[in-house]
Amino acid sequence: MHPRRSLSTLQSTMVLSVVVILAACGPGGATGPTAGAATQLPTQAAATEIPPDEVTGSLHVLDWTGYDAEWAWQDFKNTYKNVTVTFDFGDSDADQYGKMKGGSQADIFHPYTGWLQFYVDEGLVAEIDTTKLKNWDKVPDSFKAIGQINGKQYFVPWDWGFTSILYRTDKITTPVDSWGILFDAKYKGHLSMWDDGPAAVTVSSYVHSYDETNITADQLASIKAEWTAQAPLNKAYWVAETDLDQLMASGEVWAAYAWQGAYATLNGGGTPVAYANPKEGRNSWVGVYGIRKDSSNYDLALRFLDSKLGTLTGQNLVTNYFYGVANGDVMSGIADPAQAAAYTNTTTGATPELLKQTFSVDDPSILQKTNFTPNLTAQQRDDWTAMWTEVKASQ
Amino acid sequence: MTASVDQASRTKGAAPERRGGSDPRRGSFWFLLGPPAIVLGLFLIVPVLLMIAVSFRADLSGELLAPFTPTLKQFQQAFAGAGYWRVLGISALTAFGVAAIATVTAYPIAYFLAFRAGKRAALYLILLLVPFWTSYLLRVMAWKLMLGEQGVVNSVLIGTGLIDDPLDALLYNRSAVVVTLIYVWIPFAALPILAGLGRIDVRLHDAAADLYGSPLQQFLRVTLPLSLPGVVAAFFMVFIPTVGEYVTPLLVGGTGGTMYGNLIQDFFTRAANWPLGSALSIIMLTVTLGLVIVALRIVDPRRLLERG
Repeated sequence: MHPRRSLSTLQSTMVLSVVVILAACGPGGATGPTAGAATQLPTQAAATEIPPDEVTGSLHVLDWTGYDAEWAWQDFKNTYKNVTVTFDFGDSDADQYGKMKGGSQADIFHPYTGWLQFYVDEGLVAEIDTTKLKNWDKVPDSFKAIGQINGKQYFVPWDWGFTSILYRTDKITTPVDSWGILFDAKYKGHLSMWDDGPAAVTVSSYVHSYDETNITADQLASIKAEWTAQAPLNKAYWVAETDLDQLMASGEVWAAYAWQGAYATLNGGGTPVAYANPKEGRNSWVGVYGIRKDSSNYDLALRFLDSKLGTLTGQNLVTNYFYGVANGDVMSGIADPAQAAAYTNTTTGATPELLKQTFSVDDPSILQKTNFTPNLTAQQRDDWTAMWTEVKASQ
Repeated sequence: MTASVDQASRTKGAAPERRGGSDPRRGSFWFLLGPPAIVLGLFLIVPVLLMIAVSFRADLSGELLAPFTPTLKQFQQAFAGAGYWRVLGISALTAFGVAAIATVTAYPIAYFLAFRAGKRAALYLILLLVPFWTSYLLRVMAWKLMLGEQGVVNSVLIGTGLIDDPLDALLYNRSAVVVTLIYVWIPFAALPILAGLGRIDVRLHDAAADLYGSPLQQFLRVTLPLSLPGVVAAFFMVFIPTVGEYVTPLLVGGTGGTMYGNLIQDFFTRAANWPLGSALSIIMLTVTLGLVIVALRIVDPRRLLERG
């Protein structure tokens, strides 16, 4: 009755091997870092000496999906025709940091406010020689300051935007004036928070007037309790901005923590939405570019960053993603009727009027009340993200 | 004639001497085992060892490959978080449910392919595998479209007048995760069962019929027991990866659908806290292996087959 007994033994062995392999292949396998590159000092040749057409070489950029599109580096593309640019991607700040920490050979990387300190502390970023940036004068001092750590310019600011409450005006008819709406049980099942620990700490800090840069253990405990109670009020947490766009457009979510890109996208798409001016102030974030400490392409990388601040690239960012750009001239151009064509994009629905609303050009008091995202220490990052994971684990 | 016999016996006699040296079978053994061993060593064993090493780090600062003072800090934090254990339990239960339902559902499909499909078996097998031609992500996204408030299910229910307002409890919860995972795994689960059924000597069915076994008896006492090793393989093929699943809960699970894999993923990709993420991974790996060993003790496929 056991015609193929030997096979059954083999099969149960195979089951066990599959078991072991599959279990070990689960998520979270650490990848080995590649060997550190030989240290090479940045070359000191002035960036202006060689005509752009004769500049050759290749650049490796670690960026966010979408920013590899040519429009996002159009000035460089148009000027340096003989340089090859390759991109790879990190899908969160932690992911980018992990890649750089793990030995990525990218020449340029793109972190956001809150995550800059670690790159300096861990010696991953080179100082920026701003004398070689022709567009540097167009960057307002407040933006320059964001890229300075320990008194030195390590980063070039590029994209920026607001964070606030985005809400459906057909579902919520009274104007939203506080971040507190995220905790309002009246809207249970119709709210959406961004899936992010530091963001949760930020919102709680605004609501309770905590000092965001100095959260005590007790405050963190009450923040955790607050978000644990808030969790069931969400339809879902959103991870990527496109998730949020869908949730709001379908009417499933009525109010959410949101970047202004989502506001503009939904508004441009005809969804009745408004972007709140909370009494606690909006939040603002800034994206910056850094050059890897040991990059052998330091000069070329500087040229790339200088081109990133170029007019055409900046206008493209504004009209494609509705994000602001660190080039002040590009931002003031929005209100200039003579440049209206440059600020119109039929694909995304961008018009000078929509952009004025998006960036609150006509109401400077909004920007004055805005809170900029402070830098985290490694301890804060670990504590705040663990707090958030525990909130999610409690559901 | 004599000479050839002599030669044969001499060759036979010489065989033991050759065993230790240049047995061609031994050469092909290493030739066949070598490449997978190298791949597994480099891309499985080394990363797992690195993960174990990282889990004993206090934090991520400093050179990754530089020596460090080992600490149990991460494991203490992982063990202290009651929520982590809760989610691990939920994930294991979810995986058990998904694996059980997917296996039971896949069985008739495999049975049909093995015994009833006849000449068209190959065609049906291809049709079964067609979903794998599209990306996993797309298949999960499709469920979002089906279960959403303005999704297919709600539209049908409203259209037929069964409900007036869309059901909002279809998507973004644990049941959505379970439904999606079952759907995703059924074709996978059918394959080992099909392999198990294919091994069965069809003459056994005739023998059972000769002994006046009814079709039900034939199935219960011959086919099912003989196919159990395949069923067990199918169950674990679904169970093990599902414990650590994170993509599906991320897309359709909503706030309350978090699984253990999501916690681990968070520590790697959203928190940059590899040490704690590694500790959680090792805990999951150990618990999963433990569960599988216990389960295989209880349902030893070999004994199942002997009993049949």
